[in-house]
This record gives sequence, structure tokens and C-alpha cells, in this order.
Amino acid sequence: MLSVETYPTLAEASQAMTDRSRFLAGGTLVMRAVNYGDQGFDRIVRARQVDRDIRTESGGLRIGAGATMADVLASRDAALLHVVAARIGGPAVRNMATVGGNLFAPNPYGEFTTALLALDAQVVGVNGQTTPIESFLSGRAHHRGLIAAVTVPRVSEGDFRFLKATRIKPKGVAIMTIAATLTRGDTRLAFGNMGPTPLRAKSAERALNNATLDERGIAQALEVCTQDLQPADDPLASSWYRREVAPVHLKRLLLNGGRR
Amino acid sequence: MPKTPLTFTLNDGEVAVFVDPGASLIDVLRRGVGDLTPKQGCAQGTCGACTVLIDGKPHLSCLTLAETVEGRRIDTTAGLAGGPNLHPLQKAFMEGFSAQCGFCTSGMLMASKALLDRTPNPTRDEVIEAISGNLCRCTGYEPIVDAILSAAQQGGAR
Amino acid sequence: MTIHKGRGFACINYPIGMNLGGDPAQALVHSTPDGKFMVALSAIDLGQGMKSVTRQIAAETIGVPVEDVYVDTADSDTGPHDMGSFASRGTHRVGNAVIRASAEARKQMMEAAAEELEVNAADLDTDGKGNIHVKGAPSRSITVAETAIAAQFKQGRTLAGRGIFLIPPSEANPETGEQTPVTCFAHAALVVEVEVDDETGDVEVTAINSAYEVGRALNPKLVEQQLIGGAWMGVSHALYETTEPYYPARDHGPEDFNTYLMPGPGQIVPHHIAVLERPAEDAPFGGKGPGEMCANPVLPAVANAVYNAVGVRCDRLPITPEKVLRGIRANGGARPKGRA
Repeated sequence: MLSVETYPTLAEASQAMTDRSRFLAGGTLVMRAVNYGDQGFDRIVRARQVDRDIRTESGGLRIGAGATMADVLASRDAALLHVVAARIGGPAVRNMATVGGNLFAPNPYGEFTTALLALDAQVVGVNGQTTPIESFLSGRAHHRGLIAAVTVPRVSEGDFRFLKATRIKPKGVAIMTIAATLTRGDTRLAFGNMGPTPLRAKSAERALNNATLDERGIAQALEVCTQDLQPADDPLASSWYRREVAPVHLKRLLLNGGRR
Repeated sequence: MPKTPLTFTLNDGEVAVFVDPGASLIDVLRRGVGDLTPKQGCAQGTCGACTVLIDGKPHLSCLTLAETVEGRRIDTTAGLAGGPNLHPLQKAFMEGFSAQCGFCTSGMLMASKALLDRTPNPTRDEVIEAISGNLCRCTGYEPIVDAILSAAQQGGAR
Repeated sequence: MTIHKGRGFACINYPIGMNLGGDPAQALVHSTPDGKFMVALSAIDLGQGMKSVTRQIAAETIGVPVEDVYVDTADSDTGPHDMGSFASRGTHRVGNAVIRASAEARKQMMEAAAEELEVNAADLDTDGKGNIHVKGAPSRSITVAETAIAAQFKQGRTLAGRGIFLIPPSEANPETGEQTPVTCFAHAALVVEVEVDDETGDVEVTAINSAYEVGRALNPKLVEQQLIGGAWMGVSHALYETTEPYYPARDHGPEDFNTYLMPGPGQIVPHHIAVLERPAEDAPFGGKGPGEMCANPVLPAVANAVYNAVGVRCDRLPITPEKVLRGIRANGGARPKGRA
């Protein structure tokens, strides 16, 4: 039998978490599991205190984990991420789904997290401890404790690119998501739904670091872009197809801003 | 298992109910309150038939933990018409042959009401985006998009 | 990278209903004391307009305003027997049963009115507005409501009718195999235009042009609605929908509507429709109804359009980007088949 426990603060909620509990933020993941009788947990834990604050700090942008995709879209400070939040779900999902929840969203979801990976974000735990998002993702399956916020280093808007390849328009889940920060000498390229978690394509990053963004300049990056990825078969596309079209989508992202 | 007392506003009326732990808002609306206008299509958040407005914004009532709406305002299709007078969106849907089986209609109406309340004169693309989380199996969407645009032209933001 | 345009054609002759077991449909019609008529069916309206069309048919046959007819469907415990809503049979089979039931109810209504007006029932007619009058003498009239009251409270008579439509079984000729499997056919021809991306295999339908021969269009707006919605479903079947994406392997079946794909509202396709009305002899007021063929010809037309665009012949549905891309690779590149 399910129980719901509501705590005043996130810290107290965090203390109450056990192996048999799930933390409820926007509900899009947890309530779906509840509706389908998921026996993996029997306690829902929530906190009255929800951090939906989005603000610019000295190091960059801080987004409270409770901020919804709609909150991101309403924030001028988060303008860089509008292109990402706008491509998640339909309006109702965007009013519910949170940035914190997206960090744990399984495939084919997790577009926001893919963008955060390309932006070299930090994940801030309830105790204030920060973890680079890449380490957070590699240990995600065994993660304990609640997330308070994410912080995103300042990136110039022109350097950030985002593409979500879908078959259904305007709202469809991703065949793959690509996010790139094209800072010269420090390129970060992340793929979503191309492995168990969003992954960096590090070989392609190296090839792009000092490349000119034209057909010749990016050729090497396209060649190696799937080397560090582990795409799987799913209902949307096979692993073969994902490997075949990843360079196509990457080329379009780099040369045309994602348009075909 | 102890139930939780819950009060909220539903279409201008006050509602007080006791809810089971883990109950979704749509369960409370349909079984607890008897408002059958939100439809449960998938219970996964992928069809939009259960769309209601919470404080004026569209939400999926199947994925909303009921007790999170304490003190908030819920709008459902049951509250759209004013007595015998249909809401302009309902009228436009009727005149535009925008429903066949009707299962998506309630969610479509709430998603489009949320749009017109904020954007009284939307573009076609804005309409499409507004209903993008709502599946329709019968119409091919075109009559629905046309009806929403037509309601907007007739002052659908009421 | 190139976007290749393609155009595909398909046509269809589609049987209305089935022969097996006679394909029966039944209807019961009766009047309430205030002169409204209730049509009881077990046929199902799942959005295709069965209730609207049978209501029109009953009103036309009884000779009363459509507002005065109610249709109650789909309770097989309490309603008369019907085979169901499938095989594109609704308008034709159920409509015919409704005509028969309504004709009997009209006959009784006219007899009751004749008794009140003290004339021969054969000399009476309805005006379709709720009145029954003596032919050539419109002032000698009685309302349908008054007739119903008189029938039920004075004459002790019901205004009711029973109708069944049954196809005579057609046995196969043992020598030739010849038989008459259906009573009539509907017809359509359809042209689909697509764009195919030769780097990703993505196919987008960009236009549909169709001509449908459905007998008389009993309710033209409902026919249009069926044809537009049905074509959408045809596109969906052609390009998107599957429960077994790796068939014959059963792996990775979709578990929700995010992974069971259907085109979204951003993929509305301009669909130009010509409805050709050729009333069918054995159909209710000539109407055969659109039925399943709203969707069916779209599938081969899309397959042909993909072939026309890039030279890839897909004979397994749905035509996914992966199948198209594999086909393009196998052919050593896109092989457009002529001017689209």
C-alpha cells in the first residue's frame, strides 16, 4: 500500500528517502509509475518547499530543481535554454515536468539533461555539494539523495546549439537529441537517447575544437561522432539507424542550426 | 490506510473530499466528485485527454497527485458552458465537426482554452503547439485547429 | 543531401458489408406519447456518424422533422440484434433496417391519423414539419403529436415498426467458385505527394488528392469528416504505426503513445476531396457510406509515392525511415523514378 509523506523542507524530505521511496516533484515520472502499479516503491516523498527560482549568479545560471520547463521558458535569465525547454512535451507537460526530474528521466526523455551535459553544468545536492553533470550521469543509476539545483556556466548564446530529431511534429519524443557548446578550443558535444544516459561524443569534440564550421572543417567530427556513443534499439529506431543518421543530424546542427 | 482531507475550487464551486494516498487528480474528479468530463486515456501523460487547468494553466490530471492541488483552482470542461450557453470553443467545435468519437474533445477544449485565455488571437502554429500534447485518433486534427481559430475570431477568450 | 518529391496513385473498389450469415441488421422504431420517434439499434456509433445518419433516414421515411427523432444505440442486452460497426456496413445495412422499421411506423401513424380525420389513410400525406394532411386539402390536418396522443390514449394503437435487413446467402458455385460476396461496392482513387529525405529516410506526406464514390452522401459534412480523418489514419498506418517495430521479432514494442507513433497536428496535410454521388440501388436513399476505404488506399499510394521519389519499393508496413534508408543504400543512392 502506498503512502505519501510531505515534509516542510527538501532537506527533511531527503532524510526520509529510502530504497522503497520515490521523490515526487512534477509527477510526470512518479505518477505514471503509480498509475501502472510499480511495485518498486511504496512511499511517495514530497516537500512543501519547492525551489523554482532561476537566477544569474557570479558563475552563471542557477536553476532550482523544482523549476518547470514552463518556468525556464518564462525566465529571461534562462533565454539560452528556451530552445530546449520548448521542445519538451506539450504545454501541460511543460507546466509539470521539472529540471530536477529531467536529470533522472530515462530514454527517450532527458533532452534538458542532454543540454546541461553540453553546457558543463553542475548538479547541486541538498547538502550543497556539487557534482559535475558528467559524473552525476555516470553514477545516476545508484544515485542517493535529492537534487536542490543545477548551475550552468555562462556560455555565449551563439556558441550553443540544440537539435531534437523527432518523427512526430510538433511534439514527438526524440530519435536522438544533440546539444553542443562550440566554444573554440573547448567544444562540448552531448547526445541524448544514444546510450543509457546522455553521453559526450569526445572524439568528435576533439575534432571540432579548432575546426572551421564548414563541410570540410566538420568532416572528421562527423566521421567519429558515434565512436563514444552506445545507441540501443527501441520502438522508435534501431541502433543501426541511430548510428547512420547521427552524423547527418550533427552536420545539420553545425551548418544549418538543425534545419534540414 | 488513512485518507487525506483535500479542499479545492472546481469551476467556481468549493470541493472538500477525502483522498486515498497516491490518488491522482483525475481519480478524485471522476470518482470522488463525479465530474466525468476529464477522460482517462493512457494514464501515462501521453494522450492529453485528462487535461484540466490548474490555476489557469493546462496540467495532466492523471499525473497530478491529488493532494498537491490543496487550495488551488481547477477548471474542467464541466465549467465551460454558462447555463444553456456554450463556450465559444464548444460552439466552434460543434459547428466545425471537430469531434467524432469525442474522447479527446474535453482535453482539446481545455488545452485550447488555456491558449485563448492568454493569447486571444493566436497564429495557426500557436494553436498547433497548444494542442500538441493532445492526441486525436479520428479527425486528423485539421477540424480542431480550424475550430480553435474560428473561436478566437469570435472572441473565444471568455 | 536532397529532398526528393514523389507522387503515388492507388485506387480501390470496396465491398459494403459481408455476405456470411446474411449480415443482419435490425431496427425498432416507436413513438412516444408526444409524437417523437425513438429508433433503437444495437449498431454502434463510434464517431463515424451512425446516429446522425440513421436519424436522418428515420425522419425522412416517417415524414417528421429530424429534431423529433432520437436514436438509441449500442446496448446488445436491450436492443434488437445487429452484427456491429465494421466492414463498412453501417450506413447501408443499418440504414436499410431503419427504413423498413420507419416505413411500418409511418403506416401505423397514417392509419391513426386517418381514423381521427375520418378519411382513407391512402389520401393522407406528411409535410415533414410535424403535420399530417389530406392530399390536396392542407387545411384538413392533424399534428403528429395529436395523432400519437389519439393512438395511444384513445385508439389503443402503437405507432411502431420493426425492420430487418438480411442479405440472401449466396452459395459458391462448386464448379466455378462463383458467388456474390457482397451487395454493392464503393470506389475511390487517390494521389499522395511525399517528400523523402535521402540522408535520413524520413518521409513527409505533403498533399492528398482524392475522389470518393460513396453513393449518395447522406450527410456531406460527415462524409468529408470521415474522409479527412480516415486519410490521416491511412498516413499513420503507412508511415508510423506498429506494435512490433522489429517484426517478426517481438522486441521493443511501444508501451505508450509517445513510442506508438502517429502523425501530430504539425503534420496536417492538405487534402482535396471530390465526392462523386452515384446513389446505389439497394442502399438507403442511395447512400453506401465511406467506411474503411477512407484509410485503405492511402497506404499503397504512399508506398508508390516513396518508390516514385527515391526508387525504394517497401512492401512491409510501416514504411519507416530505416526501411527507406536501407533501400536507398542497397540501390547505391536515391533513384528517382521520374517527374513527380
